Amino acid sequence: MALSGLQIYKLLPQTNCKECGFPTCLAFAMKLAQKGTELDKCPYVSDDARTALDAASAPPIKLATIGAGDRAFGVGNETVMYRHEKTFVHQPGLVVRVKSDAADLADVAARVAGYSVERVGMTLTLDGLAVEDAGGRAAAYAAAVAAARAAAPGLPLVLMSADAAAIDAALAGGAAAEKPLIHAATAANWQAMAEVAKKHACPLVIKVADGDLDGLLELSGQVRGAGVEDLVLDPGATTLAGELAAATQLRRLALKKGARELGYPLVAVAAAPTWQAELVRATQAVGKYAGVIILDHFEPAMLYSLLTLRQNIYTDPQKPIQMEPKLYEIGSPTADSPVLITTNFSLTYFSVAGEVEGAGIPTWLLVADSDGQSVLTGWAAGKFDAEKIAKTVKGSGIENMVGHKKLVIPGHVAGLSGEVEEELPEWKIMVGPRDAVDIPNYIKNVWGA
Amino acid sequence: MSRYIATRAIRGAQGMVREAEEAVNAALVELGPDAPVAFTNTAYYLPVIYAFTGEKVEKLGDLPAIIERAKNLLHPVPSNNMWLPYLGETLDSGIATLFAEEAMEGARFARGTEPQVIKLDHARADGARFTGGDLGVHGDKMKLNGPIDDIQLRAWGIQLVDGRMPGFCAIVGCAKSNEVAVKIVRELQSRGILIFLSGNVNGRSIIHQLQEEGIQLGYDTFTVPFGIDTISAVYALGFAARSALTFGGMDAGNARKIMLYNKYRVFAFVLALGEVDDLKYATAAGAISFGFPTIADTRIPQILPTGVTTYEHVVSMPFDEIPGADDMERTEKLIQRCMEVRGVKVKIAKVPIPVSYGSAFEGERIRKDIMYAEFGGKRSNAFEFLRMKPADEVEDGKITVSGTDIDGMEEGGALPLGMVVDVSGRKMQTDFEPILERQFHYFINGVEGIQHNGQRDIAWTRISKSTFGKGFRLEHFGKVIHARIHEVFGNIVDKVQVHLTTDQAEVDELIEVARVAYAERNERIANLTDESVDTFYSCLLCQSFAPNHVCVINPERVGLCGAYNWLDCKASYEINPTGPNQPVAKGLVIDAEKGEFSGPNEYIYQNSNQAVERVTLYSIMEAPLTSCGCFEAIMVLVPEANGFMIVSREDPSMTPCGMTFSTLAGTAGGGMQTPGMMGMGKYYLTSKKFISADGGMKRIVWLSSNLRESMRPALQEVCEREGMPDLLDKIADETVATTVEDLLPFLEEKGHPALTMDPLF
Amino acid sequence: MTPVEIPVEKWSGAVREVTLGSSYGGGTRGSTVSVGGETALPFLGFEGAMPHRPAIAVEVQDMHPADWSAELQAAWGDAMDDAATWAQKAVEAGADLIALKLRSCHPDQGDGSCEDAVRTVERVLAAVPVPLIVYGPGSADKDNEVLVAVAEKTKGEQLALGLCEDKNYRTIVAAALGNGHAVIAQTPIDVNLAKQLNILISDMGLPLERVLMDPNTGALGYGLEYTYSVMERLRLAALMGDSMTQQPMICTAGEEAWRQKEGRAEGDVPEAWGALAERGVAWEISTATTLLESGADILVLRHPASVSAMRDALDDLTKGA
Repeated sequence: MALSGLQIYKLLPQTNCKECGFPTCLAFAMKLAQKGTELDKCPYVSDDARTALDAASAPPIKLATIGAGDRAFGVGNETVMYRHEKTFVHQPGLVVRVKSDAADLADVAARVAGYSVERVGMTLTLDGLAVEDAGGRAAAYAAAVAAARAAAPGLPLVLMSADAAAIDAALAGGAAAEKPLIHAATAANWQAMAEVAKKHACPLVIKVADGDLDGLLELSGQVRGAGVEDLVLDPGATTLAGELAAATQLRRLALKKGARELGYPLVAVAAAPTWQAELVRATQAVGKYAGVIILDHFEPAMLYSLLTLRQNIYTDPQKPIQMEPKLYEIGSPTADSPVLITTNFSLTYFSVAGEVEGAGIPTWLLVADSDGQSVLTGWAAGKFDAEKIAKTVKGSGIENMVGHKKLVIPGHVAGLSGEVEEELPEWKIMVGPRDAVDIPNYIKNVWGA
Repeated sequence: MSRYIATRAIRGAQGMVREAEEAVNAALVELGPDAPVAFTNTAYYLPVIYAFTGEKVEKLGDLPAIIERAKNLLHPVPSNNMWLPYLGETLDSGIATLFAEEAMEGARFARGTEPQVIKLDHARADGARFTGGDLGVHGDKMKLNGPIDDIQLRAWGIQLVDGRMPGFCAIVGCAKSNEVAVKIVRELQSRGILIFLSGNVNGRSIIHQLQEEGIQLGYDTFTVPFGIDTISAVYALGFAARSALTFGGMDAGNARKIMLYNKYRVFAFVLALGEVDDLKYATAAGAISFGFPTIADTRIPQILPTGVTTYEHVVSMPFDEIPGADDMERTEKLIQRCMEVRGVKVKIAKVPIPVSYGSAFEGERIRKDIMYAEFGGKRSNAFEFLRMKPADEVEDGKITVSGTDIDGMEEGGALPLGMVVDVSGRKMQTDFEPILERQFHYFINGVEGIQHNGQRDIAWTRISKSTFGKGFRLEHFGKVIHARIHEVFGNIVDKVQVHLTTDQAEVDELIEVARVAYAERNERIANLTDESVDTFYSCLLCQSFAPNHVCVINPERVGLCGAYNWLDCKASYEINPTGPNQPVAKGLVIDAEKGEFSGPNEYIYQNSNQAVERVTLYSIMEAPLTSCGCFEAIMVLVPEANGFMIVSREDPSMTPCGMTFSTLAGTAGGGMQTPGMMGMGKYYLTSKKFISADGGMKRIVWLSSNLRESMRPALQEVCEREGMPDLLDKIADETVATTVEDLLPFLEEKGHPALTMDPLF
Repeated sequence: MTPVEIPVEKWSGAVREVTLGSSYGGGTRGSTVSVGGETALPFLGFEGAMPHRPAIAVEVQDMHPADWSAELQAAWGDAMDDAATWAQKAVEAGADLIALKLRSCHPDQGDGSCEDAVRTVERVLAAVPVPLIVYGPGSADKDNEVLVAVAEKTKGEQLALGLCEDKNYRTIVAAALGNGHAVIAQTPIDVNLAKQLNILISDMGLPLERVLMDPNTGALGYGLEYTYSVMERLRLAALMGDSMTQQPMICTAGEEAWRQKEGRAEGDVPEAWGALAERGVAWEISTATTLLESGADILVLRHPASVSAMRDALDDLTKGA
């Protein structure tokens, strides 16, 4: 059972020594309760307190770090079943798989490493390359892994083979320093795999077939017994329903039953014969608890969809995405196009932009910095007032882009029109509708009239 | 229940059943049992009988069983020395009457004597068809409509159900004069009310009257002539019964549900014109079962207590005794009373003023150079005052103006202005007065070219030259207030009248009356305690972003956003019963000191997605209310000082607890219950229940300076109430301490009481 | 080793069942579609039932939608010129129902008459055996006029009529009440507003077994996460027994996905976006899958390739259930 900040505070030294980086023990305790910092930061915590707090504060799903260097990514440490309960924290790594004997291996590796796309001010990239052993000699696999590393330096890897010797060869060939994820230890090979993982200090996937959680629990015990602690689970289900059931059960076991043996992130092999089917699988995996998602298709449209979805699902519901405050061009606006202003809450922006875009009305859309709040909330909090509107207009250069001086403000802040007029005396302030859906009609019937 | 009415209704029912039985028997002899019985174009057989009993009458042979049912509902006439409630007997008689009337009409249809053909005094020249079906006037003969067919039922039924048509009126009898008959119909039509005509007095029916005056009757004019006898009034109830079957999804035979459906959804009433005979009483009793009251324009005993109908059952308004200059004015009042008795709501589609109206004009500024005139402000006094009055003292829509109007003013001039708004409503409460009054600002600001500021006796209104030029005058303020109160507060207000005055003497006189009321209101709110009520209110508005957040608002605590107090929530619930503010029964007291009650606990558990199990309203140490994100200030424990500190939203500084407002908000916000921390509305500070279990104001060791300064007088009062007049200056703020290390010496130096109070934990 | 004890949630509530289409009492449908009835979260067969597989509707308009993405125009071709033909092709493509939008009645789109609208609905009913969802043109007054006319002329067909919104639901509900149809209640991405509208509709006497709710879809990249979380919350509340959240949900994944830039723009976009031919369908599939997993009972789609992908997905999701 999670402790409240106050309960944690009672267990701390209460000296306000500040060595943890927080000004007071209470502030530190509150942050601990949110699982936003670690108890180790407190040098003076008593052993009794540590025992009590550790039990309450250890993350129910262990963090696994895949790769080394700038592109390394961590997965796990999730604390909720549904994102609305708090937030999902570590977004799943998207990994593209190639066969070790593929002729275009280096080419694919380079493309995966180089793929990137911009969305709401963020650069979204793929996270890794999985090299799947095509069978054959260990040396051949090691060579393929080396080729991939050469083609995509620094890109995290997933080494996929049932043959521990092949994995060992690849790691020994230099890959070990990059801490790739090893896929996978099974009931058949776990001793050898565990040994390789331990030897090279790399995270290890343990894999069963058909969502066999009993098998997974057993394997977890065996592998940890052999000294490997950094695990990732592959329940090995083959249908969407099976994957969903296994992923849900594992998350519940970790969060609600405190099942430490199964408190590890998951890998989902979403690969399917067509990219459409693969997209469905991967979409499910993003929402339903995967830590690493392995894909077979390097199809940009699919990758762009998945990166966008991942960004959506892993947005903290308490901290909505903010749009960059600036002048946006919707369609190809001209000197005669309308000028609208709204706030930089992403959903507000999308609603307004979506309506004018959908209606095919080229528009200048000014986005004011309201700290990511919607129009009404921003207005109530003083983050979207006449001054802010005027500042946004003046700073945007819009007066040089249009031949008219008509500014449409959202209907919800009709009460500001007089003040905005005073701030922007050369502009005619028009009060638009309250709901975005009415904007096209407003532009057609009121704006132009 | 009046014994007189019971007697008349029971006697009327007995007569009607007897008459129907004879008519049915005669028809059976003449036409045989297999002769078909069917109303015009309907799939609902004889609809009242079908709806109440599920019996499908299709031929004459089916009718005797119905007569038997009616007989079983008959009761003996009460004896002179027996005084009982009689209600059940009267209602039974009403139903028996409706069955008998419908059976009678069925027999007439079998014979082909329905719909009725009446003879007119004057032949109409056109002879054209003027109403639905094959009805019409031919020479001096006029064929009446009879029952409404199913197609028309659907068209009107939808409008009755979706509210576009406010209700229907079944008129039975004959008006005082043709002129009054026409006026009645016009008054009802202007409100969009559907009119059914039937009955007569001494052979003369309102149908004759309207026909003589050339009034168009029929589906197109929403004025349908059923028949010139009282029996045909049963078609109105057949229409109502079919509405319930069609639009209420009711099954035939489920009498109770059908009656309730009509009571709550079909705003119908009976208007009895002229003498009320036994059969009319009996038929009216049938209508009462549907929840339809009767208003009579003659002197008859009234049945005022509500029960079967929503308001009064039978209301008597002897026509000649209605106050009014002439019959026309008396008619207006009669119809207005009908609206009230049935609870028909006024709808005003558009605010009737010469300039545009809408929220887009709310923010307009009327600068000096474009101003025509102003009221209030520096140059004159002005006030706004809304008060509740008994229904008979308010005439809806009446707007009076005294003193100089705007067109009597010079450009740029100023005059005093008093606006007194009287409202009445069955669900209106004195407590709602300030809530309605506060909206005047928004109502008036919606007018193009008007700027309104302030409220109560600091109201200040400016009108632009252009708006004046378009014809805006003082009475239009009244029209705006009248229309908008009906629109926004229609659920609680029935009637609104407005008086405006620019007469200095009158303004000065009335402003004092208003000030007494303002003071009383302040007093009343100050005296409202948690103990004096048994219901708190919830607010779930913030669940859109804080899914588990539930505000419980008690009289002694304002919502944490500061925007809603207990009275606001109460009014909000009356206005919008399915809205975000719901009543929360206080339930059992679990801990009076900490403010834990069974009702709020249960409500919070159910409405927080079962995430929060209990709440202590007067303590933040154990189970404080959850915090959403829009609190005006946040309170947090300072363990070192054995007290609490409060940071306002406007204060960006670091604070002694080591967290700024935004860090604190991030910790406690989002619908979490965080012991030791809680969002709050700033006026909660002045409440006697302000963390009373934790020690109240004496526990406050630090307070953002902007809060202290802006609320100083109110806070000083609290300190005095707590017996520590100098407490306020013992409390630190960001100018003296932003760390706990600076805070403690300050408190020591000042001798802050929290340091020596019982340990908080 | 002791076997893993599978954690199973014990829910006290269930989603209501709603049936669209009827083959008797005035109905002429060759097939009907029932949705809802779930006693667990979507597709979790190990803890409860999902008695009806979610259904796929295909959106058909009563006029050629010239503003639709070129991809969609290419996919349906000339069939888009005639609603009945289009509906037939949609059924061939795998639609369980047709979502017919009477767009040409909109005052800005030709202001077509109620008679025309009724004729179109009757022609589509005659052309396909599946149940129909009928959307008004999306202008409050005209919606009321057109949907009332359609409701009366199709009495007994058990259509779903849309959209009921908090400002405009009474007439549509009344029309559904009197003619045996269901309604779609749409609210703007908010649990309590959805509940409130369901209360208002049921207060008018329409049985909740005839109410679908549309929590208002945001497309992938355009607010999808809000819809996703609101739907999860609605469904959890339904399973916890909150009666007014127990309506099956309908989501217009196709409309939302295809009206975004990603569903329309060809050229002049970053190469990493992929080609429009794949991108539009990808956007629709990913939007639809996400909604399905958060509780959608009916998906309204636009592209035949998405219909086929989602049918396959549903096969796979309901395997063994």
